[in-house]
Formats: sequence, C-alpha cells, structure tokens
Amino acid sequence: MAPVVYHPRYLDYWFGPQHPFSPLRQRMLIDLLETMGHAFDPVLPQPATREEIRAIHSEAYVQQVEAASTGCPLPDASDYGLETMDVPTFQGMDTATRYLVGGTLHAARMVADGSARRVLQLGGGLHHAQHALASGFCVYNDLSAAIRHFEGCGLRVAYIDVDVHHGDGVQWLHYSDPALLNLSLHESGRYLFPGTGTIHEIGDGAGKGLKLNVPLEPGTSDDSYLEEFERVVPHALAWFGPDVLLIQAGADAHLQDPLAHLRLSTHAYEALFRRLIQLSDAHTEGRAVFTLGGGYDFDAATRVWALLYFLLQDEPLPGRLPQDWLDRWRDRLQTTLTPTLHDPEPTTSSGQVVAHNRQVTQRLLETVVPCWS
Amino acid sequence: MLVRDIMHGPAVTISVDTSLADAYHAMQHHDVRHLPVLQNDLLVGIVTDRDLRYATSVLHPAPFSEEVEVSHVMARSVITTTPLDPVEEAARLMRRHKIGCLPVMEGPKLVGMVTGTDLLDAIIRLTGLQKPTGRIAVQLADTPGQLARVAALVDAQDVNIHSVLTYPKANKQTLVILRVDTLNTRALADALRLGGLNVTWPPED
Repeated sequence: MAPVVYHPRYLDYWFGPQHPFSPLRQRMLIDLLETMGHAFDPVLPQPATREEIRAIHSEAYVQQVEAASTGCPLPDASDYGLETMDVPTFQGMDTATRYLVGGTLHAARMVADGSARRVLQLGGGLHHAQHALASGFCVYNDLSAAIRHFEGCGLRVAYIDVDVHHGDGVQWLHYSDPALLNLSLHESGRYLFPGTGTIHEIGDGAGKGLKLNVPLEPGTSDDSYLEEFERVVPHALAWFGPDVLLIQAGADAHLQDPLAHLRLSTHAYEALFRRLIQLSDAHTEGRAVFTLGGGYDFDAATRVWALLYFLLQDEPLPGRLPQDWLDRWRDRLQTTLTPTLHDPEPTTSSGQVVAHNRQVTQRLLETVVPCWS
Repeated sequence: MLVRDIMHGPAVTISVDTSLADAYHAMQHHDVRHLPVLQNDLLVGIVTDRDLRYATSVLHPAPFSEEVEVSHVMARSVITTTPLDPVEEAARLMRRHKIGCLPVMEGPKLVGMVTGTDLLDAIIRLTGLQKPTGRIAVQLADTPGQLARVAALVDAQDVNIHSVLTYPKANKQTLVILRVDTLNTRALADALRLGGLNVTWPPED
C-alpha cells in the first residue's frame, strides 16, 4: 500500500472555468476510486511555510504572489509571469499553492524518514515555476521543495519528468546541482512550450552531465517513447546511484491531450509506471515520490492517474469503469468518456519519428556519457 | 540589429613590422584567427591564421621564413564595415567576398571586429529563447497588412508576442513564426483560424 497525500484545499488552485489546469481532474479521479469502493483516506499535509517557499523563490516574487493573492496584484506583476493568460491571479492563490507544495514536501518527508517507501501526491508537479517567474500554470515549484528536503537529509535524488512539456523550472533551479540527476522526456521544444529541453542543456559546473533531456518528435507513440526511455533512464540511474526517485507524472503525453502532440496510449503509461516502480526497487529500495502534473483531457488524465494509483497500490487493474461514474461525468462535462481504463489499443510511431528519436537520444548519450567518468 | 550590437572591441592588432612568428603567437594567445595590421594607427592590411600557415608551409612555392614581416603576406585592400551598418549587410558582405571577419571602422579609426562567430551568436539571440514560450506558425500571403492582421488577433486574445521570425516561401507566401507567452497555443491557434488565417502549427485536431 502506497500512502496517498492529498488535501481538499488542493482544489482551490483554480484559475477559472476557461483555464485548462483544472482541479476537476482530481475530483473525477477521487470520485472514480470511491465509486469503485476504494476507501479514499489520504494523508493530509500542512501547507508549506513562507520560509520553505523562500528557499526556492525570490523575496520579490513571493511578495508579488502574496499581493496578487489578496486581489491587488502589483503593477509589474506580469514581469513575474503573473496576471498573464497562463497564470491569471486569484484570491487565495498563495495559500492554495502552498498546500500543493506542502503536499509534495510531506510526501518527501515520509519517504526520507522511512515512514513510507512509495508515496503518491495527488497534485503538484508544478515544474515550470522558476526562481522569480510564474510560468505555464505553475506558481511555486513543489518539486524543487521536495528535492531540497531530500538533499538536506543527505539523499541523492533522481528526478524523472514524463510530463509532455520540458521540466524547465526544475532544470534551471538545479542546473548546477551535483546531488540531483534530472531526466526529462518531452515533446521537442522546437514545437512546444516552453521551447527549451534540447539535448545540449546538460547542466553546468558540478551539475554538468546530470541534466538529461530527451526531446521527442510530435507524433511519438508508445513504441518509440518506451524505446527511448529504455535507452536513457535505466542507464543513467545505474550510473548515478540515486537514493530516491521523484517522478513528475504529467498525463499530457496522451494522444487525446489538446495541448501537445505526442500519442501515448494508456498501454504505454502502464508499461512506463511499472518500469518506474521496478527501477525504484532496483536502485532506491523502492523509495519514490510520484506527483501529478499536466494533463488537459479529463478523460485521459483521469484514466492515466487511476492507472498510476492502482499500480502503486499493487491492485488489479479494472477493465470497464463503473457506469454510474461514467454517466455522472459525461453529463457534467458534456463529453463522451472512454468506458474502459485502457485505450482500445497501443499506438505506433511512423518510421521517420522512430529513426529521428533514436538519433537524438544517441547524440544525447554521446554528449553526456563522457561527463560521467 | 546593428553591427555595434554584435561586434567586439577593441580589436587585437599588430603592426606592419611584426614577424610572422609573433603574429601567429598573438593569434594563439588571444584565441583569434584574424589580425588587423596597423601602420601609424591606420588600418593597412589584415592577416589570417591560414595566410600565416600557408606562407610558411612546405606546400608554398617559395615559403617565407618566420622572421619575415607580416607586410609581405597580408591582404592589403581590406573590406570593412561600420558600427551603424545592419547586421544582415555585414553578413552579406562576408558571404559575397568569402571572408571570415570585418574590421569595424569609425572614420579612419578601427573600433572593433565582427566575425562569423559573432554572426552565429546574433542568430542565437534572434531566434533564441529568453523566456518560456509557445510556438505558432502562420503562413501568410506576401502582401501589405498581413502581419498586422496576425498581431491584432493575438492582441485580442491578450497574449504577449516575445519574438517574430519571418521567412519567404514559394508562391509569394511568407511563413511567420511567433513565440508567445502561453502554453495553450491551441486556443490561440483556434482564434487565428477563426480569423481566417492559415495556421500551420500547432496542427488542427
């Protein structure tokens, strides 16, 4: 049994009805688990303290968030990425975000002090937030808070980011961090926000060779994604020897996602999550924290994260989803929902995509492996 | 973008009576491949590492001794630019004459150098990412007012444009690449399509 960290206050992290980053995703998921008869009994975290936020973000930026949070954003808020289309501000934004950061921190504490091995944080994954910049729906960087906590306990961390967007916030906050291995698999920044995450961004100073980016072609499907994951991730973990894994499990590489162009099915996600669990058993005695992340198709994100939940609980995967749940959310969202946990079948990449991804990943390894000696 | 925005200066220089050996060592020491040659503070020539290596090579029909003065091997009619020339003009000049650098002159005074490497840096700055952004590609007819249409529609969505790149395509079409401060480029693309524009990225559903 993997403990689940969650707080109803997570639902306050809400940018409004038109915004794609919606807490409805967690509500659908929790409703699904409860409808299926799972006792949903999460560990309730405290919000992160102001000091914990300040360990990541500049004083000027935190003041901007606090001002915006009272409904009076400062005139230069947009210099800090606030009051923008992606990060509009709302009453209580500071506290709402601190609950999410507190949750990821709490999960990290449970793993670091040995009270749990694998923990699922049902929120967070705000990987775009930078030192003094809100970006890509992210206000405070909960992942960096967890990384800092682990490092403070003397643990070496491998951060694995499978969100379809490059994990730029975490990368830049830890670009020269020698105790953190970053692995980000994403759609190429040539086509997708935030534009970074090339194979040449490999870290700086003592962190050189520790920041690995696998930029994948639009159209990358199950086969090629898993192939490139295998080429890079196990190899890097075996070399680095982490004490704990931190996984940002964004669900937006799914083929139904409206904001990106990878084509993963739930079959790839199942294989990916099983492999991550296996790798944590092999390298970190099972120690791993999983967070959520992007995922903008409600039907797909809910099924991907339900899969993650069942795999972490070591429970059999359901085939068909409960009809009353399907009816309820179909009416609410005015959309059709996939009646089964899995998509009908795995997806296949074009030959051109497979060849291109192979070449990119090989060039990545040629660049970083010499730094590993 | 002007030459003064990308040039570097003051330039490392040598005088006409510098020996080939000293000129070569100066290049090694300063990690440069071109040296402007001065006489009484006036630019009289330029010498490259390739000139020096060839002049002293066994492959040269009459190789020079390394003690010879650079005035014997330097190029004398030097092609130059000025700080206020546009960068693209400097690039065109270097391409046309197949040369790797341009001394930058303010009147008779040498104030700096522009090299091929500086132009590569300029490309990186022009196309590079100073901020996290999404990418939109729009194909437009190459006629007046088209870019204004794009800008007006983007403005109506309250999105900030960080950079614009355009390049000509066949059939009097221009491809415009916008970098915009939103992750949700799909919504913006939909709005541009509704406004009648041919958005080529992100693709339609």
